[in-house]
Amino acid sequence: MIEQILFNGLIAGSIYAIIALGFAIIYRTVKFFHFAHGVICAAGAYLAYTFFILLGLDSLLSFFLSIIIAGLLGVCIDRFVYLPLRKHKTSNLVFLFASFGVFIFLQNLIQLIFGAQILTLRTGPIKEGHHFLGAVITDTQIIIIVASLVLFILTWLFIQKTKLGKAIRAVADDPIGARVVGINSEKIILAVFAIGSALAGAAGILISLETNIEPTMGMNAILKGIIASIVGGVGSIPGALFGGLFLGLAENLGIWKIQAGWKDTIAFAILIIFLLLRPSGIMGVKTDKEKL
Amino acid sequence: MEYLIHILIISGIYIILSLSLNLIVGFTGLAALGHIAFACVGAYTSSLLALNLGVSPWIGLIIGAIFASVLGAIVSFPSLRLKGDYLAIATFGLGVIVYSIAKNWVGLTRGPMGLPGIPAFKIFGYEINNVWAYLVLVLIFVVITYVVIRNITKSPFGRILTAVREDEIATEAIGKNVNKYKLIVFVVGAFFAGIAGSLYAHYITFIDPSSFTIMESIAVLLMVVFGGMASLGGSFIGASVLIIFPELLRFLGMPSSVAAPLRQMIYGLLLIILMIWRPQGLIGKYRFK
Repeated sequence: MIEQILFNGLIAGSIYAIIALGFAIIYRTVKFFHFAHGVICAAGAYLAYTFFILLGLDSLLSFFLSIIIAGLLGVCIDRFVYLPLRKHKTSNLVFLFASFGVFIFLQNLIQLIFGAQILTLRTGPIKEGHHFLGAVITDTQIIIIVASLVLFILTWLFIQKTKLGKAIRAVADDPIGARVVGINSEKIILAVFAIGSALAGAAGILISLETNIEPTMGMNAILKGIIASIVGGVGSIPGALFGGLFLGLAENLGIWKIQAGWKDTIAFAILIIFLLLRPSGIMGVKTDKEKL
Repeated sequence: MEYLIHILIISGIYIILSLSLNLIVGFTGLAALGHIAFACVGAYTSSLLALNLGVSPWIGLIIGAIFASVLGAIVSFPSLRLKGDYLAIATFGLGVIVYSIAKNWVGLTRGPMGLPGIPAFKIFGYEINNVWAYLVLVLIFVVITYVVIRNITKSPFGRILTAVREDEIATEAIGKNVNKYKLIVFVVGAFFAGIAGSLYAHYITFIDPSSFTIMESIAVLLMVVFGGMASLGGSFIGASVLIIFPELLRFLGMPSSVAAPLRQMIYGLLLIILMIWRPQGLIGKYRFK
């Protein structure tokens, strides 16, 4: 029993980690809560549904196209909503509220187009899982864990090793210094929105492989992503992995003895505890002392 | 005609919510996002008291508001440590916790099945179930809320709230206990939100957790921001316009599967536009810093 709970926690946690990873990459650079990140997850899932089920394309091609379009969507949100706000030099709170606006707008646009009913990417019957270390795990769940791991490692290598990745880190750590050495911060912001949103789209597809697709799925995605980020340390990439897994395991261990409906309550209780006792998270650095 | 009065009653309830949120967000500058949770506590408390113990809705309304205030005191706790967007996320989280308790504590709240058959208010043995009478009742509470919050904000106490909003450290430096003011503001704001929730429950006679989602909290915030931050007149405008205007969509003959998401899309778009061009709202006196 405990093995199964740990596995479930690992699967949920790896998806949370990917959402938190995209969120962290964007947060590091722009320093505000990009709440609309969640609706991009939902968009990724619906795009995959459109290509794979409605248009009948090959599964990998559909997923690839969906991830690319999700990235573009993130870039568009930045151009049309956040760029004007940056020009006004407004507060983080204004960015957050505008982001709520984007979230509500796109979520309901999705609902208008696809309807409120639950959809699925599944084409065949559910296959029986493999017995492994005392737990039952399905092929899809193995794909989810492997895909999350690959995405995480690729993103990590990209940020650490490539020239663009180094420029992204430079802008995140010291925007003025980066400008001095000739890095165009607007270009970097575009890049982080593209990468972060592509990851959100990928996470949306992973969610829809494991469960179902519905217009409101973005809310749960971003809430868990934000909680994972705050637990791990907002803007920290290893923190996103740690926070995601921590949250996934904590939720699933929590509902061991009580009903599954209480999952969200557990997640938010963790959020409040961390915000009050350690707002910089496990791996975060206390830089923004003034604000916290 | 009855439908029109119904819309006015709902507007009145949202005006109470917007006025009380404006005290917290507009006048004191605390970015609180879980306002509907207070209404949820008020609504469930007075409904459960009436249904299970036969308590009069009038007493239930007061007890519900007091319970909401207790929650307000709890919610004020994060505001002592967190600011700006972090406070917004924390209060958002508390809002979701209240919602999920209403949904999952099936033994008490019946969960998603909701509470049907909530009794109406009674005066001298007559039930107030006529929409006109209920409109009068709601308007009385709107006036009470307005007068109380106006007096708070116009008083020396209110000037300290403005000081807390503009510069917390300076306010502390002149010897004011900032934490105490934050606590009081949350308690008062939650009290009136609790009344609004109770008025809603005894009017509709049915409540379920879906009336108290986080989207509703964002909608109330939008009303405050749209009408005007730190402007009570603005809250009247914001709540009325944002309740009445989407109803026009229904008159255009749209099915509710189209009208409901369209209404939300308008809300979302409006929030974006306001944040870009007019973060203080139509007649607001304060913008987020």
